[in-house]
Amino acid sequence: MLRLPKFEVATPKSVGEAIALLAEAGPSAVVLAGGTDLLPNLKHELATPELVVSLGAIRELAGIRLADDGTLAIGAMTTLETVASSELVRARAPALAQAASLVAGPQLRTMGTLGGNVLLDTRCQWINQSYFWRSALGFCLKKDGTKCHVVEGGKKCVAAASNDTAPALMTLGASLALEGPSGKRSVALDDFWVADGIYNKKLAHAELLVEVRIPPLPQGHRGAYGKLRERASIDFPLLGIAARLDVGTDQRVAHADVVVTALAAQPRRVKLVAETLRGVPIDEHELAHAENATLETSAFGRAVRSIAELAEKQCHPLPNVPGDADWRQAMVPVFVRRTLLAAARRAGPVHAD
Amino acid sequence: MGVLHLKINGDDLEVAAPGHWTLLEVLRYRLGLTGSKQGCDKGDCGACTVLLDGKPVLACLTLAATVQGRHVTTIEGLLPAHVAAGGKGADPVQDAFDRCGALQCGFCQSGMMLSARALLNRNPQPSDAEIKDALSGNLCRCTGYTQILQAVELAICEAAGRTPTPRSWERASCADSGAASASDSGERSA
Amino acid sequence: MAARDRHGLDAPWGDFRIVGSPKRKIDGLAKATGSAVYADDVVLPGMLHAKTLRSPLAHARIVSIDASAALALPGVHAVITGRDLPVKYGVIPWTQDENALAVDKVRFIGDPVAAVAAIDEDTANEALKRIHVEYEPLHAYLDPRESLARHEPAIHEGRKEGNVSKNVLLEFGPVDELIAKSDVIVEDDYTFHGTTHAAIEPHCAVAHASADGLLTVWSATQITHYVHRALARVLELPPHKIRVIQPCLGGAFGGKSDPFSLEFCVALLALRTGRPVKMLYTREEVFYCHRGRHPMQLHYRSGATKDGKLQGVDAKILIDGGSYSSFGLVTTYYAGQLLTGPYAFQSYRFDSTRVFTNKPPCGPKRGHGSVQPRFAFEVQLDQLAEKLALDPIEIRRRNFVGEHTTTVNGQRITSNGFLACLDEVERASGWKTRRGKLGYGRGLGVAGSMYISGTNYPVYPNKMPQAGIQLKVDRSGLVLAFTGGNDIGQGSNSVVQAIVAEELGLPLERVRVVAADTDLCPVDLGAYSSRVTFMVGNATIDACRKLRAQIVAAVAAHWQVDPRRVRLVEGEALDLEDGAKHMPIVEAFHLAEERFDTLGATGSYNTPELGGKYRGGTIGASPAYSFTAHVVEVSVDVETGRIRCEKVWIAHDCGRALNPMLVAGQMEGSAYMGIAEALLEEHTLNRYGLHRGPSLLDYKLPTSVDTPELAALIVESLDPEGPYGAKEAGEGPLHPSLPALSNAVYDAVGVRLKHLPFTPGKVLAALAEQTERVAPHPLATSTASAPGARGAH
Repeated sequence: MLRLPKFEVATPKSVGEAIALLAEAGPSAVVLAGGTDLLPNLKHELATPELVVSLGAIRELAGIRLADDGTLAIGAMTTLETVASSELVRARAPALAQAASLVAGPQLRTMGTLGGNVLLDTRCQWINQSYFWRSALGFCLKKDGTKCHVVEGGKKCVAAASNDTAPALMTLGASLALEGPSGKRSVALDDFWVADGIYNKKLAHAELLVEVRIPPLPQGHRGAYGKLRERASIDFPLLGIAARLDVGTDQRVAHADVVVTALAAQPRRVKLVAETLRGVPIDEHELAHAENATLETSAFGRAVRSIAELAEKQCHPLPNVPGDADWRQAMVPVFVRRTLLAAARRAGPVHAD
Repeated sequence: MGVLHLKINGDDLEVAAPGHWTLLEVLRYRLGLTGSKQGCDKGDCGACTVLLDGKPVLACLTLAATVQGRHVTTIEGLLPAHVAAGGKGADPVQDAFDRCGALQCGFCQSGMMLSARALLNRNPQPSDAEIKDALSGNLCRCTGYTQILQAVELAICEAAGRTPTPRSWERASCADSGAASASDSGERSA
Repeated sequence: MAARDRHGLDAPWGDFRIVGSPKRKIDGLAKATGSAVYADDVVLPGMLHAKTLRSPLAHARIVSIDASAALALPGVHAVITGRDLPVKYGVIPWTQDENALAVDKVRFIGDPVAAVAAIDEDTANEALKRIHVEYEPLHAYLDPRESLARHEPAIHEGRKEGNVSKNVLLEFGPVDELIAKSDVIVEDDYTFHGTTHAAIEPHCAVAHASADGLLTVWSATQITHYVHRALARVLELPPHKIRVIQPCLGGAFGGKSDPFSLEFCVALLALRTGRPVKMLYTREEVFYCHRGRHPMQLHYRSGATKDGKLQGVDAKILIDGGSYSSFGLVTTYYAGQLLTGPYAFQSYRFDSTRVFTNKPPCGPKRGHGSVQPRFAFEVQLDQLAEKLALDPIEIRRRNFVGEHTTTVNGQRITSNGFLACLDEVERASGWKTRRGKLGYGRGLGVAGSMYISGTNYPVYPNKMPQAGIQLKVDRSGLVLAFTGGNDIGQGSNSVVQAIVAEELGLPLERVRVVAADTDLCPVDLGAYSSRVTFMVGNATIDACRKLRAQIVAAVAAHWQVDPRRVRLVEGEALDLEDGAKHMPIVEAFHLAEERFDTLGATGSYNTPELGGKYRGGTIGASPAYSFTAHVVEVSVDVETGRIRCEKVWIAHDCGRALNPMLVAGQMEGSAYMGIAEALLEEHTLNRYGLHRGPSLLDYKLPTSVDTPELAALIVESLDPEGPYGAKEAGEGPLHPSLPALSNAVYDAVGVRLKHLPFTPGKVLAALAEQTERVAPHPLATSTASAPGARGAH
């Protein structure tokens, strides 16, 4: 069987204890949440830690609560299954519930956590392979080598952000509550990313993600998630699209947002979405009853189509993750359009069929 | 090498294993519970599915050290639990898999049956779509899933006293021989 | 030989009591409860763990190997290299070109180079990193066309054919003339991409060498007998010093029908260390072992009369064999020989060439050699039907080859239920009212096929039986059947159990089966070519009838009645004419043992003389052929290019369904696998010659939510030579899935997909090309921009 490298395991009972363990051990320690990303990577020798600090026994890290100010706070160790099936999340943050419901397969959602998915390592067909496999082509930029196999002559790693929940959370304006040796801080998810596939996040060693916070959303908030993948289960996204549509009491779009992932190292917000959609009337009857083709002739439909075109121009999937990059490119506008329509209809997720 | 305190199929066990050993390795190579299979090494196939506090997880991506104090159920635990609860022989899910032909090579089926068991424990009357979804993390290479889905349906129907849908091939070939030798037959009606 | 006797189609005692109805499998509950023992579940005291060092280069000369640092690592017990196992092997005696570990050169990334035995896997892995191998790289062949054109450097040196592994050119009748005279001709190119078996159980072997020199090897193999022979050859040991056991097997599909490196390595390491040794491949290594379905580039030209009768079929096929021969000689023949039914060809030519490339070796996968040509031809048949404005089912009916006939290439066909298969799928799918009428984006397609139930060509020539069986009767009333047949999950042990119970009038629980152990069981050649039910089944009947004659004679003598009055049913011996006379079967056994001495019987099967009278004429000659027809229903999302297979109706003529539940399982599993090969699976290398994604994450096996509804429709033609009329069911029903799916896409959206796999990118490219060629379909609402799909042909 493909073996894990040798390491010791610590199972701290509190956040403070975990941080102390990590700080003391230095870079030779890694954090284990659900294990569904870390352990395959360790089996591939993408890291060879001496100490694995498991967060599984820290009770304070799991749970979903609605704060007095309406903030939806989700503990980092809350499982994806719990997030996906939470009535609170489904009602308040549909795009997140949908994204969580489409991560991997059922067992991995039972094991995997929201925090772990947000912090998922970037992925690439040239890196998520065994040590032998990677050695056969002289390794790559992300680990043990100097060459990029995706972009010839590339000097910057373009491994893809592949976390389904991150784009959903970005459309929701979420922030991350972090805690480390030097105390607590909060960072907007929008500001968390770095365009570097080797390590795409602003998270220091020994710093833990404690909680994901979603600010109060307006009454007319709607959201959906669209995921392109080869199979209808198990697979990572070939493209992930989160859409947000806030409809005002005047039945016009008050705010809108589209974030696309699985392109390159960080999720990308499609520009000019809010500007294009703001003020566009929403006809509920038409949404409920019209075919997509008919709907596309309405003002809303035309606006959605122009956003799909914007996305197509702005989003360029690289041949980093497995699968046909040209097809992924062609699917950008299709999935942006379908996901926005699903959000408007309070439907979704947009998926295999 | 640490001593782990594990609860496996209702037993409290002490097992010595290094920190980097997965639950699957401890089950198979320390405890001899080889019913949990390994097919893919790294969480892609579901053959190693076990129940952790009643929920399906992958033993190949679970460090044994992290499940101390939690209840692990493996395929070996189903029959004794069924008998302890007053049942006879195998768990109804196991029995239905056998009677429906779902066990061809059988290698993926420990995990499959545990996924099915967990589903029926939390939802005794799932829809067809819910059954397919619940099993969508367990790859089977032999059956095309058809006889697996029929087995789950049979287990559900028997619990509810309903008759399962006839299978596509029953009409033509088995109508006249269906009555023979019920004791060891794979016929589904109880 | 008694085995060639026809046993007849009838039940041994009036009505069938077990055969023909669904029964639990003999090992079902053991598998259900986790107690069945597979190869990796075998643990022996003091067992060492072995690992393989593999080549990181696609083609290179080995300059030197230095294992001293590995041997110096505490816990390492032995390191072996190709020099330790210099004898070549290969499943086909004329093309033995494999070494257990590479000798002097490596031929693909992943080729085994050295093996280590150590106290545990971690230590063995650590030792692998300390073996230093110096390579001199050679030009790597990744394109089969290059292998055809260029012979230096040779992948296998010293062959006059260069990098050509095998060429077969056979012609039956005046092909060019008859095609030229045809009313319609279709000529086109087709591609099969390459897929692998991906049984969920990885390969694993365990060896034990006893102090008195007996070597025992447990292996996840489907060919115990050939592994036995290969071990004796390579280890240079007398075969009687070797015992090979196949434990419960976690799937095979042809992927475990070669001898593999690990079997030789564990054996030698056990002999060297005096300790039991286990080697379990990682999933990645299983992909390198491969032996999967060959990529083929296929060119077909067919002509037909205006009423649809096929006049000539002309095929030219280039086969990418990968780095070794494996079953390649047979593959090259099968690619042509197995196409000559269920349709009558007036004339036929095929020219198929298998070449070596520096890729994982290809071999037999479910439907060996014939899935690819079948795909191409069945699409071409639809192209002919379209030109002739004929219904696709109708053109297939009109060309029906018939039953009890001989094909254009000299193959004897016995029973043939193909027309009934067509009727079944036509009826069940609602073909007449639904095809062409489901609206743009949804469609139905049909295809047919035939396949062998074993062949009369054992891989090493000999006149001994192909299948043997031995029965032992216990005084407890238990009958034990010893069979060399490999139960790989298909249920062959259950078939043996059912036949013994039927013949001897026993309940199933009174029959146990010991299988695939070379010490205990008579030889059977193994689970390949869909031969087990047919051949082992016939051997079982043969043995049972000998035994039954003794039992009946003993009972008849006891009752002083004519033996013809004695019946054995449901665990009793009965007098047909005197209801008062009956006894439990166990008493009958005792009477027979008193009279005839210790009870037992052997039985065997060998094929009759078959095949055309020309070189290669016996390859693909089968005692009986199965026939299949599928209708596939698809929907196509013209915006995403995604094909969704909604349903497959599978009608299969299996002769007689000995256990219809197991037959249906084979049919459904076959169709699932075929659809998966058409839509999702692709065994491909990247530009470095490295497997793109050797994992079950990147190689896409469909999950429960990706698999269409599968409706198995069993057709029984009752073959005169099969056991009770049975024929194969495990491989034939895969074939039509791929072409029927392509034909359904044509019905749905009017594009003809000829190059597998049918990825969404290719579908979009085909739709875009169609839009350029003709005005858009009136119902088409496609608004997708056309990507320049790179995979498109």
